[in-house]
Amino acid sequence: MFTGRLCRAAALSRARISSRPVALPFVRSAYRSIVTTRYTTDHESVVFDTETGVGTISITDYAQSSLGDVVFVELPNVGTTVNQGDQIGAIESVKAASDIYAPVSGIVEEINKELDDKPGLLNKVDDEKGWLCKVKLSNPSEVEGLLTADAYKAHCESEGSS
Amino acid sequence: MLASWRHTTSKQLFRRTACSPRYLATTSQIYVSKSHDPYFNLSVEDWLFRHADPEIPLLFLYRDTPCVVIGRNQNPWKEVNHTALRQAAIPFIRRRSGGGTVYHDLGNTNYSIHTSRLSFDRLTTGHLIRDALKSVDIPAYLNERNDICVDNFKIFVLTDCLALHVSGSAYKIVNKRSYHHGTMLIDSDLDSLRGVLRNTKDTMTTKGVASVRSPVRNLIEWKRSFSHDEFCKAVIEAFREHYQCHDRVEYVEERSSIAHTSYVQNGMTELRTWDWLYGQTPEFTHILQHSFDFGPVEATIHSRHGLILSCTLKTRDSSWEEDGMRDQRYAFLPPIRDIDGADDWDRQRRDIWEWLRVEMDR
Repeated sequence: MFTGRLCRAAALSRARISSRPVALPFVRSAYRSIVTTRYTTDHESVVFDTETGVGTISITDYAQSSLGDVVFVELPNVGTTVNQGDQIGAIESVKAASDIYAPVSGIVEEINKELDDKPGLLNKVDDEKGWLCKVKLSNPSEVEGLLTADAYKAHCESEGSS
Repeated sequence: MLASWRHTTSKQLFRRTACSPRYLATTSQIYVSKSHDPYFNLSVEDWLFRHADPEIPLLFLYRDTPCVVIGRNQNPWKEVNHTALRQAAIPFIRRRSGGGTVYHDLGNTNYSIHTSRLSFDRLTTGHLIRDALKSVDIPAYLNERNDICVDNFKIFVLTDCLALHVSGSAYKIVNKRSYHHGTMLIDSDLDSLRGVLRNTKDTMTTKGVASVRSPVRNLIEWKRSFSHDEFCKAVIEAFREHYQCHDRVEYVEERSSIAHTSYVQNGMTELRTWDWLYGQTPEFTHILQHSFDFGPVEATIHSRHGLILSCTLKTRDSSWEEDGMRDQRYAFLPPIRDIDGADDWDRQRRDIWEWLRVEMDR
């Protein structure tokens, strides 16, 4: 059986493959925990766990493949209070320098320290090690305002074709 | 993510500009700046990138008075020799795009070629510049990394190829555009270049993007009479031929209408602010040592976004954190005043403070 942790990891890795549907809600046997994945038009994803109230922020597969090899990632400090839309970090790849904006409001609980030495982890689509930070949401209803997997896919297609 | 302006104030500026109507359309595909002001030229380049029709290729050529231009996520104290910079009385500038550090002066010509992302290809641009040089009898070729070379020397430094492939809906105008940007060494002051880029801070370890140092030479070593005007002419011809473009050259100067857009004006102002120049510096640690008459001292300074997070001092028999340094701007320490009735300990701390104040700003 999956543990909760593995389930979340599985949901996260699925979230990074935009062409595949994301299974939600996910129901565990002991109690209900709903893991929701949502996207922004700026190509960030949030995997939100209602049980912990924590959202794991990543960039989408579409973003990482467009950026190419990532050479530098800057992340916020743990404990920082962020508002939706705030700039919380930066990514530089061989092609472009970009900002990371907070898709949701809350307090930064954990950052992916591994990215300091291995920024290329962001390019590993199937690796759950490519997340950016975890935020304890101050307003979970914000998640519902973000794009679903289908809406995000449509957004990418419109960007790609227009 | 994926916009190149970073902190809140500039983001607000940018969003406001990006959402406003395109009151000034580009009138040509070929722009040459008559200004030598790096703040102006970098801001015009950015304006063109975000406002010109993404479907139509665009060429922009300019040169600047001497300055050092660092990449967006670089550490100015690691990349630039500030003592040499002050002696030469030239500024350093943090540009909005990524990549490494370059030196600009009137002896090198910057070009950027903007294309739609579908046609974005580093090789195509490389071929275009190579063909331009060959047309004036300079035996240029592309090496295996697509650098433009003559006789095994790089004569061109590609600072970045910025491709805003993906971006939020507010940036619809730019998300289909990419640009390729480089600087061609024609008759640059290479001694000055080496001086201002010579790093002296070996004991500073920094996050962010490091520059790759390459041996470089000027084009006049192969063609004595070569000039900025001749290079521009050759690149414009190659661009016209490649993209079947017959537009006249549009000259840009500080009196032009582009210069008076709020986008360019705000951009020029922001490039000079501490927040942008220093406040965008990635995290770093700097360890310094010095022998005072009271014994050796080691200082470990930890900084992020240009502010000192901590400064730990170690002498032979004690170790402490210098609280007065916390939250000070790195390299901008105020001088310390003598206090009446200072004891030995106060004097030692003052000497250490003065030493670090000078060392940080080297």
